[in-house]
Amino acid sequence: MQDTTFNEIADLALRQTGQAFAPSKSYLMEARLEAIKRRESFATLDDLAHCLKARPNPRFEAEIAAALTGKLTGFFGDRDLINRLTTHALPDRLKASTTGRLRVWCAGVSTGQEAWSLAIALREITGGALRGAEIEIVGTDISTDALQRATSGTYGHYDVQKGLSIHRLMANFTRHDNGDWQLKDDLRDAVKFRRHNLTQPAGDLGHFDIILCRNVLNSMIKPMRTVAVEHMARQLLPGGFMYTGANESLIGIVDGLTPNPDMRDAFSYKAPKTKTVAA
Amino acid sequence: MKHCLIVDDSRVVRTVAGRIIQDLAFETSEAGDGAQALKQCREKMPDAILLDWNMPVMNGLDFIRALRREEGGKDPIVVFCTNENDAEHISEAIRSGANEYIMKPFDAEIIQSKFAEVGLV
Repeated sequence: MQDTTFNEIADLALRQTGQAFAPSKSYLMEARLEAIKRRESFATLDDLAHCLKARPNPRFEAEIAAALTGKLTGFFGDRDLINRLTTHALPDRLKASTTGRLRVWCAGVSTGQEAWSLAIALREITGGALRGAEIEIVGTDISTDALQRATSGTYGHYDVQKGLSIHRLMANFTRHDNGDWQLKDDLRDAVKFRRHNLTQPAGDLGHFDIILCRNVLNSMIKPMRTVAVEHMARQLLPGGFMYTGANESLIGIVDGLTPNPDMRDAFSYKAPKTKTVAA
Repeated sequence: MKHCLIVDDSRVVRTVAGRIIQDLAFETSEAGDGAQALKQCREKMPDAILLDWNMPVMNGLDFIRALRREEGGKDPIVVFCTNENDAEHISEAIRSGANEYIMKPFDAEIIQSKFAEVGLV
């Protein structure tokens, strides 16, 4: 790949998703675009970049930017967090709810394992502190390919053996003849997946009691990270909780978003008062 | 240090699995079939057993049924590790006393994840 090609594609990623690619990561860029390159019959990424320049196509550009946001994910990647959500955060929100309806947003959900893990964990809880709760889980990602896989609920041999016990696998999945495993039908309605770019306003997704955005923000440059966190914070219901990955701090990113002293690792948002200028 | 007995008729599988499990801070020993494994368990019960299904002399299913009847035989954590990947085989293994189940082919991450599921690491 020529340096100009790398720079053009890196610039596209930065503009669209806030993701910065260092030249040392050019191999990652090539790996993540390999499928698109082959599908579109380009011999090289240089050809692909040349085509993008000659015939600008916003949809194709968006697809390339999405493909570059590869994210490592897995079932029960942070089981301690899922446990705290089901035993503390969601029951806390249920107490504050007058309708019993709770909404959870898994932002940057990639191929869906985190959202499905939460759905599985919630199904295992019968009654208790979440009795009567009606919990809606929304998973969003910028990549339509990732969302297709998430929506299908179908995962390969290696995916289902990392993070899922054999008991959870057998209780929640059905094995296909090709060796893939698919979530059982009665669980498939538990999560709704939608395409969303975190750098864009999220008003059309509605408001949420809990927002999870794990292992996404660190790949963004700081100004875009701030924009993304602002958009998410605005969708947090009063008293709601926002969580990020273990190495992704939200401290000092957005005014009004502060650690919640009563809920470990959670942030709460209180929109800052708009300054008024005396006449 | 915990002890894991690796039971598989393939020397290659025993070697590869052994290296992975040693990296998880286990000492390992090996058996090429269920009968050999049972003999070793009678001498010294391991903390964990990684168990293949299809083996000569005594297969994995017969082994685990016999093991669970032995004195102290309910103690070891048994993780099946086999090419038998359909739901019926998995259910039968669990009914027979298996604690976890690995579908071959496996890698280090899968073994670590499955060992974590049953509290071995």
